[in-house]
Amino acid sequence: MKFDLTIALADRPGQLLKALKPIAKNGGNIISIIHERENPSAGFVPVSLVVDFPSKWNMQKTINDLRKIGVTLIKAEEVVDTAHITAILVGKADLERIVQEGLRNAEIIGFEVSAPTSKDACLKLEIEVPTDLLDETLENLRRVAESEDSLVILPI
Amino acid sequence: MNVIIVGFGFIGRKLVRAFYKKIDLIRNVDASFKVIGVSDSKGYLYDSKGLDLERLSYVKRLSEYSGKYREGGSTEEIIEKGEADLMVEATPTNINDGEPGLSFIKAALKKGIHVVTSNKGPLVVAFKELTSLAEKNDCLLLYEGTVAGAVPVFSLVRKCLQGDIIRRIVGILNGTTNYILSRMYFEGTSFELALKEARERGLTERDPSYDVDGIDAACKAVILANALMNRNVKFEDVKRTGIRRVTQEAISLAKKSKFAIKLISTIDKHIEVSPKLVPINHPLCVHGTLNAIHIETDLAREITLIGHGAGEETVSAVLNDVLTVMKETASPI
Repeated sequence: MKFDLTIALADRPGQLLKALKPIAKNGGNIISIIHERENPSAGFVPVSLVVDFPSKWNMQKTINDLRKIGVTLIKAEEVVDTAHITAILVGKADLERIVQEGLRNAEIIGFEVSAPTSKDACLKLEIEVPTDLLDETLENLRRVAESEDSLVILPI
Repeated sequence: MNVIIVGFGFIGRKLVRAFYKKIDLIRNVDASFKVIGVSDSKGYLYDSKGLDLERLSYVKRLSEYSGKYREGGSTEEIIEKGEADLMVEATPTNINDGEPGLSFIKAALKKGIHVVTSNKGPLVVAFKELTSLAEKNDCLLLYEGTVAGAVPVFSLVRKCLQGDIIRRIVGILNGTTNYILSRMYFEGTSFELALKEARERGLTERDPSYDVDGIDAACKAVILANALMNRNVKFEDVKRTGIRRVTQEAISLAKKSKFAIKLISTIDKHIEVSPKLVPINHPLCVHGTLNAIHIETDLAREITLIGHGAGEETVSAVLNDVLTVMKETASPI
């Protein structure tokens, strides 16, 4: 799982290397690193990292180890890869049920309805879903829509 | 090579004409090429010295080819004569039991006759049985014309992707539904009107449900899955949703988000035919009666083929299969 970390390092030689050691020791794989040397603040340089850890535990251990060696942690949060999906439903479906049961793991970021009163009402949904829950979410959406006798049209 | 043609409908007649027009090209591959028999449901023509391709290419019914027609004669008889090296099978498609093509193909393979077919039915019903039978009898069984007409998908994989593993195939495998959905997309017509137009243009089968309910596309998905992804699936294994419920409103909403709606066959861990949203800049997003097949492999990654999926163009696939049999079975000099 990926984490977005921002740490503040004293503007002295060797500080970055010191901070990277606990990350490596705890199994972290650095995906990206931005060392903003040109923007020091009160003698500290912000460093932003995206690190892939085997588990949350490894991440927590790293944070503890960093604190022990005096590295200031500004931000530590999980990076959730999301997929943006467009889906179209045709049929007079129970929207509340579709949202509650079919889209439990998704965030609805937009929708448009066409001919809402006809039996062939159309609903376009724009949703964001964590990538690792994508298959499950689309399967749920399909199952709920089909049980409502609606046609669900998903991207290829 | 002695060839017999089984079925003298649209494809059979167009193939005879292609043989006649391209005879020099064909004889460059095999100087002994001749068509010794042609059969239909009512009888057959047979001449072990070779039928006159020019005369044959101008008749609509076999009985019009004077002198040689044996009314009431069966296809099994010309197979049993034992003089044919290759049978081109082009009888009408029957996806329920594959007949009559299935029996003809089995009879030919058992007799050691190579087979080229453009008929989906036998392959949908008995793919593994037929490919095993061909292998056992040391025969080639080629079927390029069965999926996406002139689009050379099986030849491409067989010749050019020998080391690749195919992970996923998605495709537009039915030109009629693509025509209907394209009319709805570009002209804003209703499904009913677009279907009527397709019928008037002769694009639909006699029973349009074969196209619009995804039956034809599902048959092709079964053949692709079995032939290219080493599956053992039947027609019943395909989750199938047709395009009858795709409304003009659905297409307009999709269009606003830069998608077109297409009837897509998908073969990955599941096998499915259903309407899908295709981004308008995706190579699969082709319109009119065109077919398109998008293959995802471990090494080549993504390859898309686009072409004409039905009609006269299918003869290109059948002729190429015939030439392939000639080349691959020619004795080394």
